[in-house]
Amino acid sequence: MISIRDFGYRYRGRDAYALQNVNLEIAKGEFTLLTGPSGCGKSTLALAVAGVLFSQYDGDASGSVEVAGMDVQGKSIYQIADIVGLVQQNPESQFCTLMVEDEIVFGLENRKYPREQIEELLTWSLEVTGAGYLRHRALNTLSGGEKQKVALASILASQPEVILFDEPTSNLDPPSTEEIFQVILDIQRETGLTVLVIEHKLDFLSRINPRIVEMGMGSILDDDRDSYPAPRLEINRPAFDGQTGAPLIEVEKLSAGYQGHPVLREVSFRLHPGELVSLMGDNGSGKSTLLLSLFGMVEWDQGAVRVLGRDVDEVPASSLGKDMGLVFQNPDHQLFASTVWEEAVFGARNFGLEKEAYEGQTRAFLERAGLANYKEDHPYRLSYGEKRRLNLISVLSYHPEILLLDEMFIGQDRENAAFLLGLLVEYVESGGSVIMVNHNPAYYPQVATRVLFLSEGKLIIDAPLEEGMKALSRLGKKAYLPGGGS
Amino acid sequence: MHPLVKFAWLVSLTVLVFVFKRPSANAAFTLLLLGVFPLLGLRLGKLRGLRVLGITTLMIALLQVIFVDSGGVIGQIGPLSVTKDGIELGIYLASRFLSVILLSYLFVLTTSPNDLAYALMRAGLPYRFGFTLVTALRLIPLFEQEALTVYRAQLVRGVSYDRRTLSSLIHYLKTLLLPMLISAMSKVDALSVSMEGRCFGRFPTRTYFRKRETTWMDGVAMGGLVFVILIVIVIKLWEG
Repeated sequence: MISIRDFGYRYRGRDAYALQNVNLEIAKGEFTLLTGPSGCGKSTLALAVAGVLFSQYDGDASGSVEVAGMDVQGKSIYQIADIVGLVQQNPESQFCTLMVEDEIVFGLENRKYPREQIEELLTWSLEVTGAGYLRHRALNTLSGGEKQKVALASILASQPEVILFDEPTSNLDPPSTEEIFQVILDIQRETGLTVLVIEHKLDFLSRINPRIVEMGMGSILDDDRDSYPAPRLEINRPAFDGQTGAPLIEVEKLSAGYQGHPVLREVSFRLHPGELVSLMGDNGSGKSTLLLSLFGMVEWDQGAVRVLGRDVDEVPASSLGKDMGLVFQNPDHQLFASTVWEEAVFGARNFGLEKEAYEGQTRAFLERAGLANYKEDHPYRLSYGEKRRLNLISVLSYHPEILLLDEMFIGQDRENAAFLLGLLVEYVESGGSVIMVNHNPAYYPQVATRVLFLSEGKLIIDAPLEEGMKALSRLGKKAYLPGGGS
Repeated sequence: MHPLVKFAWLVSLTVLVFVFKRPSANAAFTLLLLGVFPLLGLRLGKLRGLRVLGITTLMIALLQVIFVDSGGVIGQIGPLSVTKDGIELGIYLASRFLSVILLSYLFVLTTSPNDLAYALMRAGLPYRFGFTLVTALRLIPLFEQEALTVYRAQLVRGVSYDRRTLSSLIHYLKTLLLPMLISAMSKVDALSVSMEGRCFGRFPTRTYFRKRETTWMDGVAMGGLVFVILIVIVIKLWEG
């Protein structure tokens, strides 16, 4: 069904090839998992198969890419779209309309299908994706998992022969991730579609035994692996000898939300020096809101939040930031300077630190992160994984006492995640404390000393790691445990 | 009610506001519109930008009262004479301005822009223009949310928005706009992949699944609008 021969591609303006000498054959009805480090060319390969690479991007291509016997380089995007569907990473970015029904029929209307046929395909695609109950909803009222189901249904409705998924679960919590993978699997079994999934989360997929294609930088290393990379990361958890010393953060019965809509309900917890806390919960359970409330950036109805003994509603966020760093979810939302170096020291300078206090250590961080050679480059020229490293370094450079991380590991390959987690452990061992919002069950058991779990705004687990994991199992939250709790 | 019927009412009444030259007629129409809000369950006090609207209306009225010196003098404010013409012109212009804004509010608050875009496309608007509106409606709230996130990310990295010098304002703007621009470009990229991948633009026209049947209420509303227009024409002819 898909035949890629000696394919190479270089984006215009880049020296390095994104892909080189790629050869891959995928049979009709095969379920293939494409994995490899961030920036290795997986998405470029998917864009090539979907034909988008040749219609929307400038670059030099060599070799051939055929789908269903059609050379995609010589065809219009519309001809290819009849055979290949592409589900992108973030459903939010690919929605073209505002309502579920409009979104699913969008491609059919563009193809000028008659109303009766559209009705039939709409009903079918909603049924096979299990999204029938969403039919009359507005897209902005859906959860992350529901949005991805709709994105999938909108592609499926056009009945392509091949569907490509580019990290379809990267923004989803573990239960939604399992659900989406299960939906993909069910559809593939029911329709015999050829499916190619690009994914870093191998935990669930390892249970369904797909063909695995592993990529290195720009090329295919192994086109039929029979095992997965070892799931454990070689990182030692920081030593933590109990809750000693005055708490750094005290949250007392906090109920908060946005524009009268409650998100957090009577949440209480404390963070002590030397802790590395993993904050978990389903999408929309209030994790990000809790982090923002520690800076007083959320309206609250009742309760109190104290950071280092100060009531946060009496201290501006820009002054709390010196002692409590926050790394947001999207790296592009927190790159402000014109060079990597300026970005790394942006916070340290704003907080008025002496050069001696930050320059040496920041240089050392950049060296270790492999960013020293890019110091004069614009941060936006970095790869996704490099940007994440820079995000963390730009906060560590001013030595805050507390570090808050919101979904830092989304879209990170294992190597990059291991590097970031290693820096966090070092930071904690040198006297810092961390709260990290994290969805990936492969990471937190390696480093966390404590688990907090939010469910619909209520803190239902607050326990040391082992006890917390037992509680997750007891409460049926097995998707949050390594290997799905098995 | 069908979005196009509401749109026809909006356009027609906006034109009518400019047809009447009598301050009393304009003021009466403004009062009528103000009365419609509670009838439709809309709270005037909750309108966005109400304060700016109130101040602007008042300024328009006051400027006429202060600076128009023709007509009979009916009072004195310091060195300025308040004339009958000034008061009438103030009422006339302020009520006309207020009517146009209130009509727009009524339309926006009672019509889904998405429904309007689809209705216009079904009525013949080229679908590329229609979807420009639809995608804008989809992306604007996302950009608003992202701007807030970027602002927060800057605050926690020590950017203090207290400084009000020109150079600091330029600096704030630059650091705020760059991440927004990058984000917008990446969104447009993903969206165009998604649209073309679903054959947007393949044919000069497209079909529509949405079916918006017109009801008897739409018929009555259109009949009512024709009646109002006829009455106005008769009045204008009668006035000469």
